Amino acid sequence: MSSANRPHKWHQWTLVAAAFAAVVVLLVLPLVVIFAEAFAQGAGMVVDNLTSDDMIGAIQLTVIVALITVPVNLVFGVLLAWCVTRYEFRGRKLLSTLIDIPFAMSPVVAGLCYLVVYGGQGLVGQWLDDRFDVQLMFALPGMVMVTVFVTCPYVARVLIPLMQSQGTEEEEAAILLGASGWQAFWYVTLPRIRWALLYGVVLTNARAVGEFGAVSVVSGLIRGETLTLPLLIQMLNEDYNTVGAFTAAGLLGAMALVTLLLKTVLEWRQSSKLNAAEETLT
Amino acid sequence: MSIRVDGIRKTFGGFAALDDISLNVPQGELVGLLGPSGSGKTTLLRIIAGLEKPDRGRVLFNERDVTTLDVRRRKVGFVFQQYALFRHLTVADNVAFGLRMLPRGERPGRDAVRARVRELLELVQMDTMAGRYPAQLSGGQKQRVALARALALEPEVLLLDEPFGALDAKVRKELRRWLRHLHEQISVTSIFVTHDQEEAMEVSDQVVVMSQGHIEQIGSPLTVYEQPASRFVFDFLGHINALEGLYDGAVWQSGEARLRLDTHGACPDGALTLYLRPHEATLAKAPVEHAHLPVKLAARSVFGGTVTLELEPRGWGAGVLEVELDRDTWAALAPGRDDTLYLLPRSLQTVTCDGDLGPRVAPA
Repeated sequence: MSSANRPHKWHQWTLVAAAFAAVVVLLVLPLVVIFAEAFAQGAGMVVDNLTSDDMIGAIQLTVIVALITVPVNLVFGVLLAWCVTRYEFRGRKLLSTLIDIPFAMSPVVAGLCYLVVYGGQGLVGQWLDDRFDVQLMFALPGMVMVTVFVTCPYVARVLIPLMQSQGTEEEEAAILLGASGWQAFWYVTLPRIRWALLYGVVLTNARAVGEFGAVSVVSGLIRGETLTLPLLIQMLNEDYNTVGAFTAAGLLGAMALVTLLLKTVLEWRQSSKLNAAEETLT
Repeated sequence: MSIRVDGIRKTFGGFAALDDISLNVPQGELVGLLGPSGSGKTTLLRIIAGLEKPDRGRVLFNERDVTTLDVRRRKVGFVFQQYALFRHLTVADNVAFGLRMLPRGERPGRDAVRARVRELLELVQMDTMAGRYPAQLSGGQKQRVALARALALEPEVLLLDEPFGALDAKVRKELRRWLRHLHEQISVTSIFVTHDQEEAMEVSDQVVVMSQGHIEQIGSPLTVYEQPASRFVFDFLGHINALEGLYDGAVWQSGEARLRLDTHGACPDGALTLYLRPHEATLAKAPVEHAHLPVKLAARSVFGGTVTLELEPRGWGAGVLEVELDRDTWAALAPGRDDTLYLLPRSLQTVTCDGDLGPRVAPA
């Protein structure tokens, strides 16, 4: 299957070694440092920091944001992928390009845009405040909104190529056999995309948990209220609480490692599925 | 159930895939839609199934208008060229799918479903493979599972889109015999799409020859072959050799080639093309008085009882000619390497200069 060769000349080996060195220095070393720094003054300090009110509040807030963001983008991503791959309409290409806006745009800019539109002085924000006494910005709703914005392409981007390659025949077959649109989705489409979907969810979750830029703009950085883990890290670092900052960072780092593991497993599952599908075609 | 298609038109972005198609399929018949790719045959099948909406015209089942009826309520069995089996379900679950999708009130119980699945898998001779997944089956086996799945809800209409197109020659032949046999057993009104002339001829009660969104001819396999309604039909059904030349009312000529033809005045003097089917001619070592068509042997292939010869015209203009002889005739002829041979057509189809079919003629 693979057309790659083993490196066999000295300069090829040098290239491989250089790649490894770069990965270690740039990626692995900082991760190791995080844990080393966190435990620099003993495990007791780590536990103290982990059980502090600020830390627990930040963990809770981070989890809540992720718990809302992931399902929203799961549904949104599936719907979007369905529209783009299952219907032929004017503006389909445009739609699939628009999905990428959050990828292309700096999260800070996204945060500012939301602040302008939904903030107290903003068009929508002012109206909501006057009519319903609802404040979106500098509170949980705003933080969820920008996180949803920043992470919304992941599920759709994973699903679209897969659903395109799978085609629509199996769904047509289901409907010809009397299935409703919902049944066709539930019994035919979903089982075929489940691994890719999980992969998209893992990516969305990782990004939602780690999001800093956009959230920092709309959170207002209110200690004990609107600090998520990434925001807390910055705050602790500015307070010269190194152990605290690195403990929080270690927590995020551990989440990242778990995510990486899940992603690898899911990728492996999906590619073995694809291989199986290819084998049947030949 | 009878199927009637009435004045169907379908365009895709300005291109007319189907133009005013009308067709009648009586109850219990097996009809083949035959045509080259792009002739609109698959589109027509999908419109009958309800997978596409026509721009104009009606589809009637038993004289009931179903044009606007939703796909899932038309209750047609449909078989896809690429099988479209649910790859995450076993063979048995694939076949049971339609039964499980029935509304709660009509849905048979677990045991009834199992019994029905077994019965269907026996019908398609796949009962030993009930627990396998589609990926573990060969193409022919997949297509039989797809058929069993399509038959699970006892449809009164069965539609097959190039059902054997993705299979190798031997399996294809076996499966189409089997389909013919199955059709005699269960007598469901069936329409299948194919681009393979042999397949259409062997399987169908009626053949519908299509080209560029039109129906060229509807008739029994024998009729469309022996009495083609248009040049396209003649062209499309089997290989033909086109001989181009000039006619003077008695003799057709092209370079050194001559044929004496009596067309009883049906063909005007001037350019005249003759179509020759490979099996409607023989070869001799000497010309005869009414036919002088010198050729040289270019290649031959022996397969079964016939010998297919490729012949190069000597001293007259025509492409390489294909002629089929039976083995004995070929053995008796036994020509030398560079011998000049003479083609003796038994029957020819005239094509007039405006492109229509003229009368069939025999040199005399």
